[in-house]
Amino acid sequence: MMIPGDKSKAHANPTKAFFVRMITRDITLEDCIFDLIDNSVDGAWDLAGGRPLSLDDKTDLSAYKISIYVKEDGFEISDNCGGITLDDAAEYAFTFGRKQDADTEKFSIGVYGIGMKRAVFKLGSEIEIRSTYIDGDRLSSFRVPINVEQWLASGDGNWDFDIEEEDDLEQPGVRISVAQLTGAARRSFASPRFVLNLRRAIARDYALHLNRGLVIEVQGRTVPGRIIELREGGEFTPMRAQFENQQEEERVFVEILAGMAAPPPDDSEPSEDYDEGQNNSGWYVVCNGRIVLAADKTAITGWGTEGWPQWHPQYTGFVGFIIFSSQRADLLPLTTTKRSVDETSAIYRQYRPKMREATKEWISYTNTRKQIRDEAAKQERVAKAIPIFEVEVRQEVQLPKIEPKPKIPEANVLYTVPRSRLRNLASAFGNINMAYKDVGLRSFEYAFEDLVGDE
Amino acid sequence: MASFDSINYSIRPSKSVQRGIVFEGLRRISDVMNIGDAVYVGFGSIWFTDFVQAHKILDIDDMVSIEGNEIGFRRATFNRTFRTISVVEGRANVKLPDILEMEGYCARPWIIWLDYDSALDEEVVEDMQWVLSNAPPNSVVLFTLSATLNAYGKPKQRPDRIRKLLGDVVPDELTKDDCMKETLPITLANLVMNFFKSEAADSARPGGFVEAFRLPYLDSIAMVTVGGILPAKGAASAARALVENERWKGIVAEIIEAPPMTLREIATLQAELPAVDALTRERIRELGFDLHERQVESFQRYYKYLPSFAEIVA
Repeated sequence: MMIPGDKSKAHANPTKAFFVRMITRDITLEDCIFDLIDNSVDGAWDLAGGRPLSLDDKTDLSAYKISIYVKEDGFEISDNCGGITLDDAAEYAFTFGRKQDADTEKFSIGVYGIGMKRAVFKLGSEIEIRSTYIDGDRLSSFRVPINVEQWLASGDGNWDFDIEEEDDLEQPGVRISVAQLTGAARRSFASPRFVLNLRRAIARDYALHLNRGLVIEVQGRTVPGRIIELREGGEFTPMRAQFENQQEEERVFVEILAGMAAPPPDDSEPSEDYDEGQNNSGWYVVCNGRIVLAADKTAITGWGTEGWPQWHPQYTGFVGFIIFSSQRADLLPLTTTKRSVDETSAIYRQYRPKMREATKEWISYTNTRKQIRDEAAKQERVAKAIPIFEVEVRQEVQLPKIEPKPKIPEANVLYTVPRSRLRNLASAFGNINMAYKDVGLRSFEYAFEDLVGDE
Repeated sequence: MASFDSINYSIRPSKSVQRGIVFEGLRRISDVMNIGDAVYVGFGSIWFTDFVQAHKILDIDDMVSIEGNEIGFRRATFNRTFRTISVVEGRANVKLPDILEMEGYCARPWIIWLDYDSALDEEVVEDMQWVLSNAPPNSVVLFTLSATLNAYGKPKQRPDRIRKLLGDVVPDELTKDDCMKETLPITLANLVMNFFKSEAADSARPGGFVEAFRLPYLDSIAMVTVGGILPAKGAASAARALVENERWKGIVAEIIEAPPMTLREIATLQAELPAVDALTRERIRELGFDLHERQVESFQRYYKYLPSFAEIVA
C-alpha cells in the first residue's frame, strides 16, 4: 500500500487541555501550595549560599519571608527570595518540564520543572506572576499574566505566555496571585480546618528551614516550626550516621538519625483516643531540606517488607530521619509531587538496610519492655529530649538491655459501656480526657481496694 | 434528667431574646430564598415554643419533633400544638436518617434546629456531621448547646476535651484561658462555626455554608446557638448578601444576658426607648430603681425581643 505524503506521520503532539487536566490530576492542593513554597525556599537557599543541607549547617535564613493568603475568592503567595530573572522567565521558568541545559546545581528542591505551572493551574484560571530581581545594579520587574481559558482557546500551536512590563515589588521576589479559583480550591479555602492543617503541614515539612529562621506566614500569622527531638540519657542514645555517596559523578550526602522520641505506650491495643505520639512516630525522609515523607509507617520506609514487621501501635515512640542532599536534586529519591519517595531509586535502596537495623532495635526493645514495664518506664524517664541538631554522631541506636523476668499469668478484661457514662466516670476520677483503658484500670483498682483490700 | 423535668424553657429571658433573633433571621432568610415549602425539624419537648413560631412566623406546616425520652414522647404527643407536627421517638442520630426518608422530605429545604440543653459531646458532633452533609439544599441548620464549664472538665483539661470533640479545627494554641467562664461560650461558638464550615467544605456542598447565627447567651447557665445556611448553588450569593448586610442581627460578639425584670421595670424603661442617647445607669436610678451597667446595655439592645412573664392561675 502506498502511504500518501500527508499521512506519513501519526500526530502525537499533546493538546493544552490534556496537559492541564493531566498534570493537575494526581496532586493535592496542599502539595501544589508546597511546590510554590519550594520555589521560594530554593530562592532563599540560593541567596544564602546553597550548600548541602546537613543538620550541622548553620545557614541563617531569617532574612527571608514567604507570605501565603488563601481566601474563598483568591490565592496569593509572595516572597522576598530574589525573584525570577527575565532571562530565566523567558527561557526556563515557564517551560513545561526542565530543559536539558537548565542549571540544576544549586541544592534545590525543584527538579522536574512542573511545580509552578501545575500549582497555578490547579488553583484557578486567572493567574498573575510578578517578579522583581536585581539586574546589575538596579531592580527590574515584569509580570506574566495567564488567563487559562484564553490560553486554551488560542489553539495548540502556541504554548507561550506573554511577558509584560511591571512596577517593582517592594523587595526582590516573586508574587503569584490566582483568582477565579477552581471548585476544589474555593471549597478548601472556605474550610478553617484546611487552613489550620496547611499551617500544621508547613510547620512539619519545612521544620528544618523554619528552624534556621525562615519565616512563613499563612493569613498574616507566622507558622512556628515544629521542634524535632530525640531522647538521650541513661541507656538511651540516638543514632546519627553520616555517609557520602557518589551518583553519576556527583556527591550525595546521606545522614540517618533514629531513636526514641517518646516512651512507647503501656498498652498497644488500638483505641478510639487520638494518639499524638503514634501520629508523629515513624520514618521521615528529607530531600535537600524538605521533609517529603513524614511519620511513615508503610512499606515505603520498609515496614512489612523483607523480614521487617508491619507497623503496630506498640512501636509508637520511634522516630527515624533519613536525610539526602546533593547539588543535583535529580539524584535524590524525590517523586514529582514531593509527597513520597521514589522507592526504586538506587540511592534510597542502598540505605534502607541501615534504616531497618535501627527500626529492628526499637522493635526488639518494645517486645522486651512489655515484660518489665516499670523498670523500663524508670529508664525512659531519665532520657531527656534534645533537638536533632544536637545529636552526636554515633553509628547505632543504643537502647536499654533489660533481662526479662518470669511472667505472671495475666487476665485481659474487655467490657462495653455507653460512652457518656464512661466519660462521666472519667470526669469523676478527675480527668475528663482519661483514656478508656485507664478508666477501666482505675475502676478495677477502686473496686479491688474496696472489696479485696490487701492481697 | 430530661430537660422538661427541670426547667420550663419558655421563661428564660436570654433564651427568649435568642429565639426572637433566630426567628427574625429565619423570616428574612425566607424572604430572599426559596424555602416556602420547608420542613421544620427540632426538639419540641413538651412546650413546642419554637414550633409555634415556625408555624406562625414562617408559615411552615410540616414539622417533626424528635423526642428521646419515653414519657417525654407520650407527653409531647399529647401537647402537640398543631395537627401537622409529627413526634418521633428516639435519638436524633437514629431518627434523622428516618426523617430524610419521609415522603418528599429529601427534596424540600429543612429548617433544623437541634436545641440541646446538654454540652457538646461525641453524639452531638456526630449529629452535626450528619446534618451538614445530608440536609437538603437551601436548608438552614442551627445547633444549641450548653457551655457549662464542668461539662468540659477541669480548666486545664478543657482544651484537650474540645480538641477531642472538634478535631483539627481547634487551633494548637487553644489554652485554658480560652475556656473559662467569660471566654468558653465565645470560644465554643467560634469553633463550632469553624467546624460547620469545614464539614460543609469537606462534603462539597454545592452552595457552601453561609454563617448566619452565632448567639452566645446566659440565663444562669451559658448556652450557645450556632447556625447557618446551606444554600443551593444558585442561592449562595443571595444568602451571603443577606447576612453580610449590616442590618443582619444573627451574629453577636458579646454574650446576650437579658436581665430578669418585673413588668413594671420593663414598662418604665420601654417608655424611654428608643432613646436618642444611650440609657445610663444614672437615668435608671432617676427612674427609681437600679441595674448593672451591662444589664442596662443589654436591655437597650434586646428590649424588642424581651418576653413578659406573668403567672396565670388556671
